[in-house]
Amino acid sequence: MESQRHLKPLDFGSEPMTIELGPQHPAMHGITRFRCQLDGEVIEKMEADIGYLHRGFEKEAENTTYINVIPYTDRLNYVSPLINNVGYVLAVEKLFQVEVPRRAQYARVIMSEISRITDHLTCNGASAMEVGAMTVFLWFIKAREHLWELVEEVTGARLTTNWTRIGGNANDLPYGFLTMLDERLVKVEEALNEGEALILRNKIFIDRLKDIGILSRERAIEHGFTGPMLRATGVPYDLRRADPYLVYDELDFEIPVGTVGDCFDRFLVRQEEIRQSIRIIRHAVEKLPPGDFHCRDRRVWMPDKYEVFNSIEGLIDHFKIVMEGPKPPPGEAYHAVEGGNGELGFYVVSDGSGHPVKCRVRPPCFNYVAAVPEMTVGHYVADIVPIFGSINMIGGELER
Amino acid sequence: MELKVKVVDRKRGLAEELYLPAVLAGLRLTVHHFMRNMFGKRDVVTISYPEEHRRVAPRYRGRHRLTVREDGFIKCVACYMCEEICPAHCIHIEAGEVQDKSVEKYPVVFDIDELRCVFCGLCVEACPKDAIRMDTGIIAMAYGERDRFDFTRDLLKDPYHENEKTKFRSVPLPLSEEEALPNSIAKVGGGH
Amino acid sequence: MTLVIDLLLNPTIQAILKILVIVLGFVMLTGTVLTLMERKWSSAVQDRIGPNRANLGRWRGRGTLHLAADAVKSIFKEDTIPQDADRLIFAIAPFFSLFAAMVVWAIIPVAAPIGSFRFQITDVNIGFLLVFAVTSLGVYGAVLAGWSSNNKYAILGATRSTAQMLSYEIFLGLSLVGVFMVNGSVTVSTIVANQGQYWFGDVIPKWGVFTQPLAFLMFFTAMLAEMKRLPFDAPEGESEIIAGYFLEYSGMRWSAFMLAEYIAIVGSAALTVTLFFGGYQVPWLHGDGFELFGYLLPLPLFIVTALQILAFVVKVVFFCWLVILIRWTVPRFRFDQIMELGWKKMLPLALANMLITAVWLLAWDHWHL
Repeated sequence: MESQRHLKPLDFGSEPMTIELGPQHPAMHGITRFRCQLDGEVIEKMEADIGYLHRGFEKEAENTTYINVIPYTDRLNYVSPLINNVGYVLAVEKLFQVEVPRRAQYARVIMSEISRITDHLTCNGASAMEVGAMTVFLWFIKAREHLWELVEEVTGARLTTNWTRIGGNANDLPYGFLTMLDERLVKVEEALNEGEALILRNKIFIDRLKDIGILSRERAIEHGFTGPMLRATGVPYDLRRADPYLVYDELDFEIPVGTVGDCFDRFLVRQEEIRQSIRIIRHAVEKLPPGDFHCRDRRVWMPDKYEVFNSIEGLIDHFKIVMEGPKPPPGEAYHAVEGGNGELGFYVVSDGSGHPVKCRVRPPCFNYVAAVPEMTVGHYVADIVPIFGSINMIGGELER
Repeated sequence: MELKVKVVDRKRGLAEELYLPAVLAGLRLTVHHFMRNMFGKRDVVTISYPEEHRRVAPRYRGRHRLTVREDGFIKCVACYMCEEICPAHCIHIEAGEVQDKSVEKYPVVFDIDELRCVFCGLCVEACPKDAIRMDTGIIAMAYGERDRFDFTRDLLKDPYHENEKTKFRSVPLPLSEEEALPNSIAKVGGGH
Repeated sequence: MTLVIDLLLNPTIQAILKILVIVLGFVMLTGTVLTLMERKWSSAVQDRIGPNRANLGRWRGRGTLHLAADAVKSIFKEDTIPQDADRLIFAIAPFFSLFAAMVVWAIIPVAAPIGSFRFQITDVNIGFLLVFAVTSLGVYGAVLAGWSSNNKYAILGATRSTAQMLSYEIFLGLSLVGVFMVNGSVTVSTIVANQGQYWFGDVIPKWGVFTQPLAFLMFFTAMLAEMKRLPFDAPEGESEIIAGYFLEYSGMRWSAFMLAEYIAIVGSAALTVTLFFGGYQVPWLHGDGFELFGYLLPLPLFIVTALQILAFVVKVVFFCWLVILIRWTVPRFRFDQIMELGWKKMLPLALANMLITAVWLLAWDHWHL
């Protein structure tokens, strides 16, 4: 690119070619549209266009009870559904001011980290596939398969988990889960090592990703980056340490940061985060306390079934929660969790009734997609795909 | 805990510049997988459906079923709680009277449109009578017409239908309430 | 009776029969089976089962029926031509690729000559130069297909394809100069016969890979780039420009491109084998039987020929397997990196190879004659 700039433009009367990496494209995950103006193969201008997967999450949340929003949150970042569940209920629990039992918090941490691993495996696998290493993608998907089976054991579904509730979780970790977890984590590590051995030392792969899509630390902060994208530029900002929630301040892990902020750094940061997540899970499993999986606060908790079947107070409480929804005191609350992509924030406003007045989601990848044109201009057409793959845009989260 | 930062290692040296060592190492791994899958012990994740079936977890939320009492009468008392809590509004109930005053109501019509259902399991949590469960283990329903997905009360009462028994059943119906884990009964006290 | 023998002795008829047997019998069959084998072998690498469901009633044949299924599907698919496309060029473009892929087989020998009967279709004295001259026409297939499609992605693919194939033609030729110097001729039969010689008294065969290892690596890389196989498949893109130059093709025209690609794989495997791995030579197998360290295992002539043909087939299949496996191991180069690799790294290496070979040969002649 540099070598082309010093040549004087020849007077051929040529014009740049406009191509659309349109909504239908094998490499545009979750549907986005980019209009690029090309000079040969160099990108001169680029515009991003989103909105193809908008489903009206926030409007739906206004018309339904606090409990019913939880199935909708599964479908936000659909490769890490449990993190969305956790984020939303943490925001609502802030409104209610309820205490969640420690066992439930540890269980939430374990499931969140499993979801984070699935998110990063998908992103890195897809990045590798788009650069040409399809074998790595399939090995990572195979590893992810083991994790989905774990999630199914606990929640009852692989993707539409609907597992957390206000004040606790829907049910406890089942018998035999911890053994299964141990076995599966070993298999995930194996697949991870194999995938890395295939590409991380391979100059072809390194050249595709190194020094591509660099965004400096200052520009990243100006754009509002968080999560792996910001950590790749060198800023050690992780919500699990900066503003600890659940029981992360009792768990021991490291935060991987990059140096340059290019696609290669982001890939490496995500790989390392998978290993750190495995470390967190193992530590949390060691420290898992016995106890309840749900608080007993009758404003939010549907009573035990034997109480519902046999006592009138239990039945009435159950009835009111189902029919009208749990009713928080009027107010507003914002809670952000460290999602697979970055700071996933939920802002909930309540007016005292069982329906939220407003439930806004702060999608982490909104800022990234806005920065993609800036990161890509000056590179080749063939670089759009690694750059776009490295931001891990998930359509459900971006456009809710 | 204190903030521990780890800088990722992106230094690459001469061995990578030569291209070949990495390609040969990669080939070794690929050939190992190839030989293992072609000639040795297969390690594939593919399940050859319909000859093999995937193991379904006990908590898996499959097709609904309505439970019955010992005398065969339906347990559901048409209280409308599942209809209220359903996020997809796929349950339609019409109540009717029963002469036996200890029961009072029963559902004349209980339709679930399985195409609209999002399989969240909230109806099971909401039911005060343990009348509806999603523990059939039927993963997928595949029919030719849209109407076949409207399950009426009598269809829902049977745990398995003819085609479901032969094609989709992966897990036998749990026999005891302890086995049908918290989708039907909430257990308090945790521990594993 | 004598008419039949006269016909059989006519060299033209012999050439036609050889074409039928080698090209139709071996090449087309292997190329077609390779399309299925690519899918099965790639699935073996990726821990999954490949296609295995095409069936006739209850017989599934572990996926072999997919070949027939693919063929039938291609024939019945709608043959779309984009609206403002150049119809004539769109129609003839696949044939350039097919032609270039198949012409390679004109000079490949499959067994040692018996008397004056050669197991090659023709043994022109310019040998490999004929192949290089004609495979250059293969560039037209990709370029015309991309240009005539009236599609920006196809144009990108065609542009990349032109530059890549033309550049790597050069490196293909340059890397072989060393081989021609060592053998002293360009004729195929001479090169293969020379590889039947041994070093250290009949122990190590003088295969091209031992006499010219650097040339082998460069030739293999250049052949991968010519065939537009991973890691050099930027013209086919797959994730950036979707299918590159054959984006708008469907049905049988697309199958023609696919078949041309797989036949090119078999052809280039055959070229590699002929130049560097002894062609039909089996180590220590002479015209009259196995001979090693003085021990002789006499074999009749037809067994020797059969063994040579078998060795040839096994070697070609091995290299096809290697090409396919490399596809699923390495990622893809970006287009400017392909050009950089070629002109900045392979060209100096090829020239260095030529220089070293020349110096070595001169020194050998000077001091050992």
